[in-house]
Amino acid sequence: MKLSKESLLGLIAVGTIILMSFIAPGFLSSNNIDNFLFQLPEFGLLALGMMVVIITGGIDLSITYTAALSGVGVALMLTNGQPILLAIVVGISFGLLCGAFNGFIVSKIGVSPILVTLGTMVLFEGIILAITKGQSISGFGETYNLIGNGYYMGLFPLSIIIFVFFIVLTAILLNKTNWGRSVYMLGNNEIATLFSGVKNSRVLMKVYLYAGLLAAISAIIMTSRYNSVKVDLGSSYMLQSVAAAVLGGTNIQGGYGKVMGTVYAVVIFQTISNGLNLLGVHRAIVDVFFGAVLILVLTVNFFSDKWKKNKETKAVA
Amino acid sequence: MKKVVLSLVSVLFLVGILAGCVSGESSSDKKDSKESGSDDGISIAVVPKLVGIPYFNASETGAINAGEELGVDVEYTGPTQGDAAAQVKVIEDLISKNVDVLAVAPNDPASVEPVLKKAKDQGIHIMDWDTPANNVDVSVKQVDDEEFGRHLAKKLVEAMGTEEGEIAILTGGLSAANLNAWIDAATAELEENYPGIKIVTEKVPTDEKQQVAYQKTLDLIKSYPNLKGILAVSTPAPLGAAQAVQEEGLQDEISVVGSALPTDSAPFLEDGSLDTAVLWDPGKLGHLTVAIGKMLAEGEFPEDGQEIEGVGPITVLEDGKTVIMGPPQDFTAENAGDFDF
Repeated sequence: MKLSKESLLGLIAVGTIILMSFIAPGFLSSNNIDNFLFQLPEFGLLALGMMVVIITGGIDLSITYTAALSGVGVALMLTNGQPILLAIVVGISFGLLCGAFNGFIVSKIGVSPILVTLGTMVLFEGIILAITKGQSISGFGETYNLIGNGYYMGLFPLSIIIFVFFIVLTAILLNKTNWGRSVYMLGNNEIATLFSGVKNSRVLMKVYLYAGLLAAISAIIMTSRYNSVKVDLGSSYMLQSVAAAVLGGTNIQGGYGKVMGTVYAVVIFQTISNGLNLLGVHRAIVDVFFGAVLILVLTVNFFSDKWKKNKETKAVA
Repeated sequence: MKKVVLSLVSVLFLVGILAGCVSGESSSDKKDSKESGSDDGISIAVVPKLVGIPYFNASETGAINAGEELGVDVEYTGPTQGDAAAQVKVIEDLISKNVDVLAVAPNDPASVEPVLKKAKDQGIHIMDWDTPANNVDVSVKQVDDEEFGRHLAKKLVEAMGTEEGEIAILTGGLSAANLNAWIDAATAELEENYPGIKIVTEKVPTDEKQQVAYQKTLDLIKSYPNLKGILAVSTPAPLGAAQAVQEEGLQDEISVVGSALPTDSAPFLEDGSLDTAVLWDPGKLGHLTVAIGKMLAEGEFPEDGQEIEGVGPITVLEDGKTVIMGPPQDFTAENAGDFDF
């Protein structure tokens, strides 16, 4: 039997869930399952956005501030009495604008993504601070709050359905479209991709736009869930989303990464965090745990890759 | 072809969302609230803005000790970063644990409002401590803003050794409500009792940064050569001011008084560049939070003047739900070494 990296990770995710339901009191209570489903989407969407960027060999350090800026856009519209749909459109266009800005500098000017997004991270933070003066904007009304807190058909949290939709969408885009194939090619070998007739800059631009879109959707869920937005909204997700993408098997040098892997990784993170909270473990220890799991998986991946390569070279010889 | 599939999926998704009604209540109506999962006694969860900084470590020690003394189960947990989203997650998980009392020091009062409402709906007593939140049962405050501000002003005059002269006021940020309340009280005190003191300029914002406070103080010293005193509120501001005074060697000419933690201010207190740091004891604050939490769970309410063991007498404001721990505490060159926060 041969298991792919992703299925193995899926098994690990199921394993952690089973483990936690045995050792963490109240893990399977309906209340906690609800919590679990409500907490997942905002982080999952950011992780998916990060994954797409990492597949091209880049990284988007500005992703949480992109989200916060879109959140501010939504908040400004709503608190000024604009209709919800318009507010959402404005929020998404803020996200796309941020993505376009990153994409333009990375793809047209060719500065390395880590530098560009480090710069835009500070830039977006500054813009938000200038708009909000560091204060939070809050009070968006009951209807808007349903996006992050409401149930669809009285059963599933609406936000998880939005998340599932974007999982499917991302998977289709990456695996079934020309753009998706170019993203993987670009991550593997930029020059070869260029010479095979792909417009690299156009592909990259769309990658950063897509990350901006996902950040904006995540921001809509977050602002609706917390009924407020502040400059550091979701800032704790920044490194976590990189970690989730990498834990999900995405190659940090680009060229490989599967949607399901990232989703499993997000589930694992969420299960561990939630379970350890229920067990009353100190938060600092929870972070230690995350770090340890991440290092472990990376090491295992590294050696399994190496082993596979060795076998291949032997087979060739 | 692919585009067709894609748009089909999108349309299906949208139609689905529109067809099914979205409601705030789950239909599998789960009212399993408060079967009081813990069989033995009271459990109190205390959530700081973040864990792992000296101030909140000190309040953790206080809260845990209080739990042992009072025989209640105390859980002290919070996010590792001061991020409102991360804090809400911690609170949601605590609700799942069916704690009896939830005491929160919110990073952003607005963002914890929905989750605190959810807790309340499940029969959990909710309170805030350190920083006010909205719609709580009881609010625990460290000091009375009015008293704290006036105390700072008195300490500054004391340190200057004269009731005449020019002073300047540094603040963390112009919009921080508690800092503004302190400054207003301090200026009122100066106007009423020390008419000889002149405030040379509007309050100077320092962005909650020591470096900015340092720079602005240097500017002030240059612009107002007769400056005798500096009043600095927000914890980094007095340190920056003292650093500037230290560097210019003006320890004897300019007095600095402000709100700062004793361990941070010790090096400046030693050579007199910072005269007095005034704050409160976060350990006691943690202790008081747990004590009040226990009262809430037992259906009691704190009373004005009530003696809390390990804390002292407390003040309860007229609204009946704002508890004030007590007078501010001074940290000077003599006692700063005795504290570990």
